[in-house]
Amino acid sequence: MMSARIGLGSATRRVAFAPVIGRNQTVLRTLIPKRGVQIQSLPPSASEEILNAQRLKRPSSPHFTIYQPQLTWLGSIANRVTGGALSALLYGFSLAYLIAPDTFDSAHIVEFVAGLPDYVKYTGKVILAAPFTFHFWNGLRHLSWDMGKFLSLKGAYRAGYAALGATVISTVALVLM
Amino acid sequence: MASSMLLRSTLPRTFASATGRNVLRSALQVRASSTAQYVPGGPIIKGTVNDPVEFPHPSKVHGSYHWAFERLLAASLVPMTAAAFVTSGSSYPVLDGLLGLSLVMHSHIGFDSMVVDYVHKRKFPIIGPILTWTLRTATVGVLVGVYQFNTNDIGLTELIAKVWTA
Repeated sequence: MMSARIGLGSATRRVAFAPVIGRNQTVLRTLIPKRGVQIQSLPPSASEEILNAQRLKRPSSPHFTIYQPQLTWLGSIANRVTGGALSALLYGFSLAYLIAPDTFDSAHIVEFVAGLPDYVKYTGKVILAAPFTFHFWNGLRHLSWDMGKFLSLKGAYRAGYAALGATVISTVALVLM
Repeated sequence: MASSMLLRSTLPRTFASATGRNVLRSALQVRASSTAQYVPGGPIIKGTVNDPVEFPHPSKVHGSYHWAFERLLAASLVPMTAAAFVTSGSSYPVLDGLLGLSLVMHSHIGFDSMVVDYVHKRKFPIIGPILTWTLRTATVGVLVGVYQFNTNDIGLTELIAKVWTA
């Protein structure tokens, strides 16, 4: 209602309950106020346009930047990142071998790695083993969720800490191998 | 864009003409802007607030069967990886081949999930499909590369074992 839009609800109510004799004059005086507020009549289809105009101005509330770091989602994104990194390595090597088999064959690669200094080899082993073991143990955690286990918050945290512990132990074991 | 409230101190006698002008302007703008401003994934939605959400066509192949296949594949990777650790790739080339194939399939499903999550074709109508097909082409190339490597060279498990102890 037009008068409700510009906050004249109370004024209109007063007019509605006013004595009959002076009602029309009061109505006119309410709807044509002294300050000269202009009211526009819009068709109902204009509502979508106003809504879209408001939508364009709406800010997006912070989400990713403010969410408290937790084992649940950090573990989840770490699972994805480690899986993606390992797969990128697999894809990269396979495509490189397909394009240039003489440069990337096993003899060259083993020769190249053997020529690296020891600390580079150890660092490289850690960089390769840690994502692999984390993805492996967290993958087992995912599969156990799919079987219905550890689905409570406590269970998810316990399994998460267990996966992290297993990651550390198996990374050390692999690097020393 | 029409604004609904015009705080002009105009006299009431210009009321009728102003209303008529604004009604015409807002009607024209509604017809022109409600479709032109739609941006996929943007704040403006297709159609009106009363239009139902469009859902993708339900299909078991892309739904529950895909899910089950993904989990079975991941589960099968566990014993295969363990076996690859204790044997050598040259003595069991079939295991090596199966492991290579399963790893590539597992990687493809993982990459596809990332594309669907971050670059969905509903929001990115051009880049989304391009990335999906790039991934599929890359997977085919990787399968050929893995086959070539396992056939003409020592194979994936043997390579990792050799590089690890180099």
